[in-house]
Amino acid sequence: MSLEEICGIPQYNSLDYERLMHDDGLSRYCRNFDNGMDLAVPPFLNQSNNFAKFTKDDSGREIKINFDHGTTTLGFMYKGGVVLAVDSRATGGQFIGSQTMKKIVEINDFLLGTLAGGAADCVYWDRVLAKQCRMYELRNRERISVAAASKLMANMVYNYKGMGLSMGMMLAGWDKRGPQLYYVDSEGLRTPGKVFSVGSGSIYAFGVLDSGYKWDLTDEEAYDLGRRSIYHATHRDAYSGGIVRVYHMKETGWELIDNNDCNDLHYKYQEEKSKEGGA
Amino acid sequence: MSILAYNGGAMVAMKGENCVAIAADRRFGIQAQTVATNFEKVFEMGPHLFVGLPGLATDTQTVMEKLRFRKNLYELKENRRISPKVFAAMISNMLYEKRFGPFFVEPVVAGLMPGTFEPYICNMDLIGCINQPTDFVVGGTASAQLYGMCEALWEPNLGPDDLFETISQALMNAFDRDAISGWGATVYIIEKDKVTVKNLKTRMD
Amino acid sequence: MMMQTEMNAYYPDYSTAPIQRQINPYADNGGSVVAIAGNDFVVVGADTRLSSGFSIYTRNQNKLFPMSDTTVLGCAGCWCDTLTLTRILKSRMQMYQQEHNKQMSTTACAQMLSTMLYYKRFFPYYISNILVGLDNEGKGCVYSYDPIGHCEKATYRAGGSAGALLQPLLDNQIGQKNLVKPSSEDLSQEKALAILKDVFIAAAERDIYTGDSVLINIITKDGTKVETFELRKD
Repeated sequence: MSLEEICGIPQYNSLDYERLMHDDGLSRYCRNFDNGMDLAVPPFLNQSNNFAKFTKDDSGREIKINFDHGTTTLGFMYKGGVVLAVDSRATGGQFIGSQTMKKIVEINDFLLGTLAGGAADCVYWDRVLAKQCRMYELRNRERISVAAASKLMANMVYNYKGMGLSMGMMLAGWDKRGPQLYYVDSEGLRTPGKVFSVGSGSIYAFGVLDSGYKWDLTDEEAYDLGRRSIYHATHRDAYSGGIVRVYHMKETGWELIDNNDCNDLHYKYQEEKSKEGGA
Repeated sequence: MSILAYNGGAMVAMKGENCVAIAADRRFGIQAQTVATNFEKVFEMGPHLFVGLPGLATDTQTVMEKLRFRKNLYELKENRRISPKVFAAMISNMLYEKRFGPFFVEPVVAGLMPGTFEPYICNMDLIGCINQPTDFVVGGTASAQLYGMCEALWEPNLGPDDLFETISQALMNAFDRDAISGWGATVYIIEKDKVTVKNLKTRMD
Repeated sequence: MMMQTEMNAYYPDYSTAPIQRQINPYADNGGSVVAIAGNDFVVVGADTRLSSGFSIYTRNQNKLFPMSDTTVLGCAGCWCDTLTLTRILKSRMQMYQQEHNKQMSTTACAQMLSTMLYYKRFFPYYISNILVGLDNEGKGCVYSYDPIGHCEKATYRAGGSAGALLQPLLDNQIGQKNLVKPSSEDLSQEKALAILKDVFIAAAERDIYTGDSVLINIITKDGTKVETFELRKD
């Protein structure tokens, strides 16, 4: 039964069958309450090509459906574990919808996910993943490995490939085999690695990150590197900004290091620079 | 995406009591990428005359040069300063000449009328339709946000100091909700006997 | 040949090409919602104009939907989607009440709404939702959503057709952004109400989809109070 459920096979056992027979009509509008992977089927084929035809109203006026987008996130492994750093801006079109979004999702005490791309996509699927990880724990009396968790995620979203999901996430965790870092995206790619940066500002973040990265960083150096990389990305990238959040994945679980407003960081770094220039 | 939003930028001008103010952000970007944070969009065209050109950056500069040329010719021929009203009409004419291949700028003019020192502001669309309200004008990619701010903050007969505070708050809070404008701001307060220029300390993300 | 296609563009009646039909399931019926939360209260307002393009369907449409004694949902966007969504949500609230013999909390309702919106990920509800209520400690809270269910908790939020006009104003007046000396005083109910009315006056001035009047719900531990406030009607 559990295998069926994990594979997303609809169950026709007594209880659910009963429900299907005496369908009150309501459950059809929220089937994903029972199975997170069961989303409504659109009334047309080929989502990515055909949805665009619906985005006009009767008078031909463009209907703008702006999902929250845009990000800089990064994660890297070093001798002390994994550091994740993210910005906090959510933009719908050019409008800044939020400057305080949480782009690191705490899946459980030993698993963190970062989000880039469609905000709703990432948050929803992270929640489904969290449920599955918890189910795994209850069934097997041990925590799920990061490799397995990332594979669950990759397989889930692969089922919706070509439907327009947009997400690029990093999964960081600590399991039996030590610290782990995976990259998973909505195209179905899943790969382990040491240094990742994802999102519209990643090109700027990589510039700083690659120049300062080495395995033997101290904790403080690692936090500062993550912070600086994100800050420089927020400065250059229009769709990144707000607050820089830094997390550390340790053997004892994740820890929130700090949240810094980009505005404070900018003037702090500028002051440091002018001092160096003077000396 | 609109070509008017290719480089980004925000602009606002307001009337006060015997003074006018015009303010703009300082970003020059190419879509999401911020290339420079010291880009001027407001230009001095006379002792009491300023023009702001939000829109496509290349056209901002081209139109500015063309306007300066035409203004200089006018002043040489007439041997007197150009008034803001005449200057606005001149821009409007120049833009309409390119009705079917326009410059992608939405000019904002702010100044004091020569002689009477009466405040004057106006803005126009990219083909030169002039709009002369009694309170404030806005332009650029943060115009929706600016309308909301100005509509609530502006009141009649503001003195130069209050006008500076009002226009600064309106501009800063507006572009903080627009992804492609911001990164510093310049405010010009134009009075009868002086023009004050101030750079604002703003968010840089 | 060129003539032919050009002519058809101008005189579609004389076109010999196959006629294409297309349904437009979405409509933009406009409207704005603003919510402000305080320490022991939350106020939410929505304008009462329902429009389509340049015509007004009604000047008196309530866009606030009470979900429980301490939770209210404000909707702006496609009205048909709003009706469907609020109906399902209300039924779910009722089912919860009957199964658990207690009302669903605002926080739980917020999460449920997010999941319900995401269910229609590939054919979304075209609504900007703002859910307000009191949390388990009695503090006011505001949840705002994008059309496919991205949810964020906030203390103040503007959504709908005039969302872009109003949000920076709330940032300034309530979020105290860009002020040299931010005041540390707690937001009072009177001040929140005054700001709410001010921002709607500004919106009605510049947004054609917002106007007529504002319906305001003030939620405290003593219950919900309803107020109306007149806006310009042109």
